[in-house]
Amino acid sequence: MGKLVFLFLLLAFSSSCVAVREYDKVYLNDAEMQLGAKTCERFETNFHIYREASSGANGGKTGGGCGCN
Amino acid sequence: MEEKQVAAVDATKISVSVNENIQTIYRSNGLGKLLGSIAFALCTFTGWAQQTDTSYKQRVLEASEIDVLFSYYNQDGTHAAVTGGEGTEDLTDATSSLVLRMPMNEDDILTVDVGLSAYTSASSSNINPLDGGNNVTPFDASSGESRSDVLAYINPSYQHSSGDRNSIWSANAYLSSEFDYFSIGFGGSYTRLFNEKNTELTLSGRVFLDKWNAVYPVELRNGFFDNRISGNGTYNPNFSEFDKENRNSYTLSLSFSQILSKKLQGVLSVDFVSQNGLLSTPFQRVYFSDQEDFFIDDFQLADDVEHLPDSRLKIPLGGRLNYYLNDLVVLRTYYRFYWDDWGITSHTASLEVPLKVSEKFTLYPTYRYYTQTAADYFYPKEEALSTFEFYTSDYDLSKYDSHQYGLGIQYKDIFTSAKVFNFGLKTVDLRFSQYDRSDGLNAFIITLGTTFVGN
Repeated sequence: MGKLVFLFLLLAFSSSCVAVREYDKVYLNDAEMQLGAKTCERFETNFHIYREASSGANGGKTGGGCGCN
Repeated sequence: MEEKQVAAVDATKISVSVNENIQTIYRSNGLGKLLGSIAFALCTFTGWAQQTDTSYKQRVLEASEIDVLFSYYNQDGTHAAVTGGEGTEDLTDATSSLVLRMPMNEDDILTVDVGLSAYTSASSSNINPLDGGNNVTPFDASSGESRSDVLAYINPSYQHSSGDRNSIWSANAYLSSEFDYFSIGFGGSYTRLFNEKNTELTLSGRVFLDKWNAVYPVELRNGFFDNRISGNGTYNPNFSEFDKENRNSYTLSLSFSQILSKKLQGVLSVDFVSQNGLLSTPFQRVYFSDQEDFFIDDFQLADDVEHLPDSRLKIPLGGRLNYYLNDLVVLRTYYRFYWDDWGITSHTASLEVPLKVSEKFTLYPTYRYYTQTAADYFYPKEEALSTFEFYTSDYDLSKYDSHQYGLGIQYKDIFTSAKVFNFGLKTVDLRFSQYDRSDGLNAFIITLGTTFVGN
């Protein structure tokens, strides 16, 4: 948990000191660098929601819309 | 490399691909627009808004896109919740989805996501195991009507981006139906980009108003009688049906993403989920240790169904960190910590390493680890007492860990040279994952996804 808080703080503070310009975002714009889950991962996310007690914080549903948790 | 240089000019972060930028240039003449309109008219859904302004403005989505997705899932295990934690968990599911994204104008996108999911399940067939067959046992499937079901859903959403692309609004709805469950949902989100689009904050909310059509184990239904019942005394379970059959879910999500360097970016997300209503599954049996056991053949008759609290608070906190190692390798990592007030905590960690083996092909080896603690109300078969307020023998709520190994391959043609009904084939994804859980449940899933772009 401590590491997660540290990561959050790192991200928060870094926002004020790093500003990558648009013309420098060649690598960041690569399709593999997208931060969300990919469309084709949705079915895996769905079965995790059914088979595991936890869900959420990954772009998937968080407890509604099906007979699962 | 040429493609990437074009992409670098693009200021939007809303899934505008390299290919689409090339198409923008190509489509800047009237013929391109006309062809685009004709192609779209061939599609079932219509709604293309013609661009009347002659000044150039980058569209958030250049052309209509269609994702055609299919998955096949199979699992097996010996801890079926329908039969009180002991019985076959054999289940097969086939799902098809169609996702259509349409640019309504320079700023707006309409997305319609529809799908069908059909399953056959040995465990749910044992809601009624007395199908007149041979010896009745929780380890065999019944041929009853609860053996299979179909879920149909539709999930439309509308997204609007501001002219400077620093604000994004979206609204969505959800509707799904299956034999014993109906769901309606709606939600919205607001995203703000700043710091030269290096920082992004998203606030979103979603509500689901669900309704059970409760189905109970056959032996607990009114009027049940079978002369094959064996045991000491008379089978007379202390069972009553649930009063309420609604289940409401409210989700508030916060997301913060940040570019950390030219090759590194991450996101932190937290959800606050509140649920209330019927959170138990009405057909999941429970066997008490302080009650007599009754059988029909080898099938033990239920003492009750699971009883879980009528409210639940869930807080998952997740983070992603992606690093562009070089032109061949990207590292995609994910971690989630989860807590809820039923006593469950969990950790999820995954790593995906896309390997660009050629201009058109990418390999995706993946690994995912998951571990959770048991819910306060979980008891294995015959361990709960009938005096308890809450109890379940659903092993999805037990303590376990799991490992998932996967491999995917993607074919990508940025020039969409292969055509199907005036739509160009952009990508084909094929993925396979094997899932092994420490309580003995094993599963695999195969996913096929294709993306077509309107010309």
